[in-house]
Amino acid sequence: MSSASSEAALGSHRLGGATLFALSARHVTKRFPGVLANDHVDFDLLPGEVHTLLGENGAGKSTLASVLCGLYKPDEGAVLRNGTQIRLTSPRHGLQNGIAMVHQHFRLVDRFSVAENVVLGHRSLPFRLRTSDLENQVAEVAERFGLPLDPKASVGELSAGQRQRVEIVKALYQGAEILLLDEPTALLAPPEVEKLFETVRAMTKAGKSVVFVSHKLGEVVDISDRVTVMRDGRVTGSVARGEADTRKLAELMVGRDIDLSPRRSRAAAQDTLLHLDNVGLRRDGVDHISQVSFSVRAGEIVGVAGVSGNGQRELAEIVAGLQAPTSGEISINGARVNGIGTRNVRKAGLAYVPEDRLGTGLAPSLSIVDNLVLTRERGFLVDRKAALDEAEAFIKQLEIKTPHAHTATRKLSGGNSQKVLLAREIFGAGDNARVLVVCSPTRGLDVGAVEAVHKLLDEARAAGKAILLISEDLDEVLTLADKVMVLYRGSVVHEALGSEVDVEAVGLAMAGLS
Amino acid sequence: MNANVWVLTFADAFSIATTLILATIGAILTERSGVINLGVEGILLMGAVTAFLVGDATGNVWLALLLPVAVGAVMALIHATLSITLRANQIVAGLALVIFGNGLSQFIGKPVEGKTRPVVIKALDLGPLTDLPIVGPIIFGHDPITYLTWVGAVVCSLCLNRTRPGLVLRATGDAPATVDAQGVSVARVRFVHTIIGGARMGLAGGWFMLARGTAWSQAATTNGIGWIALALVVFAAWRPLRAIAGAVLFGFTLQVPFTLQGQQINILPPEIVQMLPYLATLFVLVILSTPRARKLLGAPKMLGQPFVRDER
Amino acid sequence: MNIGNLRIELEPRLTSPKWLYVVVPVGSLLCAFIVGGVFLALTGHAPIGTFALLIDRGFTSTRGITNTLGTATPLICTGLAAAFAFRMNLFNIGEEGQMYLGMIGSAWAGIALAGHLPGFAAVPVVLMTGALTGALWVLVPAVLRAKMGTSEIVSTLLLNYVALNLVNYFIFGSRGFFRDPSTSFPQGRLIEESARLTSFGSTRTYPTVIIAVGLAVGLYWYMKRSNYGYETSVLADSPNTARYAGMNATKLTLSVLLFSGALAGLAGAMYVVGPAGKVDPGLLQVGLGYAGIVVAALARYNFMAVVLTAVLFAGLREGGASLQISTNPVPISIAVVLQGAVLLFALGGEVFRRNRLRVRRVQQTVSV
Repeated sequence: MSSASSEAALGSHRLGGATLFALSARHVTKRFPGVLANDHVDFDLLPGEVHTLLGENGAGKSTLASVLCGLYKPDEGAVLRNGTQIRLTSPRHGLQNGIAMVHQHFRLVDRFSVAENVVLGHRSLPFRLRTSDLENQVAEVAERFGLPLDPKASVGELSAGQRQRVEIVKALYQGAEILLLDEPTALLAPPEVEKLFETVRAMTKAGKSVVFVSHKLGEVVDISDRVTVMRDGRVTGSVARGEADTRKLAELMVGRDIDLSPRRSRAAAQDTLLHLDNVGLRRDGVDHISQVSFSVRAGEIVGVAGVSGNGQRELAEIVAGLQAPTSGEISINGARVNGIGTRNVRKAGLAYVPEDRLGTGLAPSLSIVDNLVLTRERGFLVDRKAALDEAEAFIKQLEIKTPHAHTATRKLSGGNSQKVLLAREIFGAGDNARVLVVCSPTRGLDVGAVEAVHKLLDEARAAGKAILLISEDLDEVLTLADKVMVLYRGSVVHEALGSEVDVEAVGLAMAGLS
Repeated sequence: MNANVWVLTFADAFSIATTLILATIGAILTERSGVINLGVEGILLMGAVTAFLVGDATGNVWLALLLPVAVGAVMALIHATLSITLRANQIVAGLALVIFGNGLSQFIGKPVEGKTRPVVIKALDLGPLTDLPIVGPIIFGHDPITYLTWVGAVVCSLCLNRTRPGLVLRATGDAPATVDAQGVSVARVRFVHTIIGGARMGLAGGWFMLARGTAWSQAATTNGIGWIALALVVFAAWRPLRAIAGAVLFGFTLQVPFTLQGQQINILPPEIVQMLPYLATLFVLVILSTPRARKLLGAPKMLGQPFVRDER
Repeated sequence: MNIGNLRIELEPRLTSPKWLYVVVPVGSLLCAFIVGGVFLALTGHAPIGTFALLIDRGFTSTRGITNTLGTATPLICTGLAAAFAFRMNLFNIGEEGQMYLGMIGSAWAGIALAGHLPGFAAVPVVLMTGALTGALWVLVPAVLRAKMGTSEIVSTLLLNYVALNLVNYFIFGSRGFFRDPSTSFPQGRLIEESARLTSFGSTRTYPTVIIAVGLAVGLYWYMKRSNYGYETSVLADSPNTARYAGMNATKLTLSVLLFSGALAGLAGAMYVVGPAGKVDPGLLQVGLGYAGIVVAALARYNFMAVVLTAVLFAGLREGGASLQISTNPVPISIAVVLQGAVLLFALGGEVFRRNRLRVRRVQQTVSV
């Protein structure tokens, strides 16, 4: 459908008393091996509205969005555009109908310029490309919607927010009338989120419809005209602005009461187990970490918040002994551990749960049993008998869902593989490992698994471990940490006690505005 | 030894370069789409034997050049099916292709083993240009395929950098998911370029047989040129124009042993001299593997990785 | 893929049924014979008769199977060499050249050292020297790969051509150490008698076959149970995980490639202590190094299975060789064609082991 006719539909979307929706899903069902991702889902989008699809991870909202944009074909049901059924065969076909999706993981070519990325795959691109013409066109589209972008810049060097802008400009350039944004705020700092919202408003003003796919309750309420909530592949409710409060939405989303209240340490903190003094990491003339100092005591969780890419990974690796700091001192239990290598750091009493579960913390093709001996001292022969007993105990105790202990970890769900990793690092290391470094432990997990992970961390704290929690999920840090720090460009720019946190100040600090 | 010998050596270097350019750009197109085809040597051998057999049977030099193209395309089709559709390990699939091509070329070439080549590609007579001193034999003393190859390399380069299909090809090797999201079939782009690449390799083998070979004997025909072409891909940083420069350079190192032997210059035993091109290639690979060089080279990011859309 | 309203999909299997581990290789073998048969028929040979003869001369006759075991002996070693590296995603395709160097090194030891050694030590020392020179031949590619991440594929292969010329130089190009001084005919100098093994009876099977099979069993056990086997499997599966666990990736990579080279070198040494007794350019014609890669791939890099596939391939080769001297001679290269085809089919067949082929009707019922 051409853009002209959908603009006509905008003016007269009530025909004969019936509402003419820009885009609808009717009884859409989509199955994946072993999963019913969408179960007879209905969804309606009005022209010019911002409509949020709200749900936990695994609720089926991304699948629905993928069906709406033509990436997946529904097994049953239909998609309607302006009241007429369309059978989308591909995302390109979706684009021809004015529907575009911006994925959570940007689909950009790093080595291309902004302009090359924007025009890539445009259906009426000429055979011969003239770079300057393309750059002008792209700049023009970007300006019309107030999205500042340099068309000549190499995409590989842009920030997450800028890359998202490239994706949006790309969709608009290709004539999108309906934009599906999958978890658009996941990688953005609070001020960038505000900028995104401005862009969204500019787009709806121009008659475009926007679908927000999100699991973040708080932020969707402000921007959305309507919120449709999904759970376990079904729609549990659809409410217009002002019809429901956050509490109601949370209930629709989760289906039961969840405890969102903060968990703090109950016992008084004891002796310092991990101490960093003026630690810095300088590589290729760039300071990745500079002058970071803090202590973590037994029985407390110190949380490090920050937008992705501000030195979190480097900080964790320095503490874990995977990278040696170029300045400063690190000590565990009073002993200096600078540059002694990760195996020795572990001997000194450290356990480490990296952010990337399956690609770093676990060997994906190896079994649960084999993964349990990964960070253990091993002799000439590997003792798998003891590991098997241990694996079976963990499976029972932590309710890890797996056919058996010899299953490859990549075949487990995210929550279950995280449980394997946490079990190894918290319990497997025994009483020796009293310092625990944990990075984004609940990323991509469903709400049940998040609760289980938080409970595990809380128990580890109660058992007297000193925990450094580095997470991009601010809510997680605020929920668990006894002390909160904000990392920005490798420096600690804000510090507060967990009980006295000023959320606004933390948000500003994350954006580097403090 | 006179200067003339070196002029002829350079002329031969340009000539050998034709095979290398054809094969290397074939491999570049394949790899730019994200597929790695190690079967170059096998395809070259099959191209060579096909050209010989067709030439022997028909006496027609153009048919003898055309069929190797088809054979190369079919071999590449096998590789594409294994690595793209069936998602087999591309390294092993390529090696299987080398072994298969090696055996089959020996097998079907057995009846003509030792025969001298039936047809020859003649150099173009460019009149006064060919008679020019030095540049005459080096630049203007070649056959039409050589000139077409040079023009083809320039055209390839322009297509890759300045056209829509080129843009899509470059994106496919780097970010197939992006291309897929635009509704372009990654498998199709990869199939097409793997097959075009294979066709070029087939032509490279056929041309080599008819222009530079003497008698058919499998063991001595391509002599590892296919592997040198693969090293050249890295040397050329996956760019067609640089492949020309690299091919001439490598053509020179391949030709020098023959020149030295022909001139009875026995500084080194011939077997040792024969090693030099391979050692030179290895040396270049060493130089190219310094971290700085690798950053500049920029291999396609998803080289050798099968693309799967539904990853849940 | 969609055909009409049927959708054909490959769906990953969670577990592969055991029977597929047998059906896929056997099916590949049958398909390869069909392809080989087509080419035989096209070149005027009777496919069935040719294959029957090939199987008899390769496997079922006493003489055939003992010849086969003799050829299989070095092939098991090159197969193990390839399997050892490939299962680590290290694609050492230089077994051919490493084997040549093993031949050269062991011949040197057999000529220069064996005379000074007590009888029982001669053969082991010669074999070890061969393994060592094989490992040395892969040293440069191994260091490049381990330290700088240079792809080992092209570098190991290029050295095959260098090794080939080196053997030719020693025998044809010079009158040096390795050349038999007693004759003007270019051939290798024989090693000491004490460094040679005698074959079983009048067969061409040598005691080295026991070493080769023993190595396969030992490696199978060692890589399954030992810490070294564990660490290499972690590194092969996920380099980031290996780094996280504090494993030394450089050392592991280096050791795997060097050991792979040693195994290939051992193949050449077994040829020297067994049938050849000297540096013999005849080895250059056989292609046991390249065949080792096929053997390993077909065995899916399982050390025990390498023994089986090596015997299979050696049989094809022996059978193929005997076809050359029949009334309607079939080129021996038919064996290589079959080897290549088996691998191509096995690679394709692997997909059906890992995935399930599903055909289902696409429903798009509309109920608005």
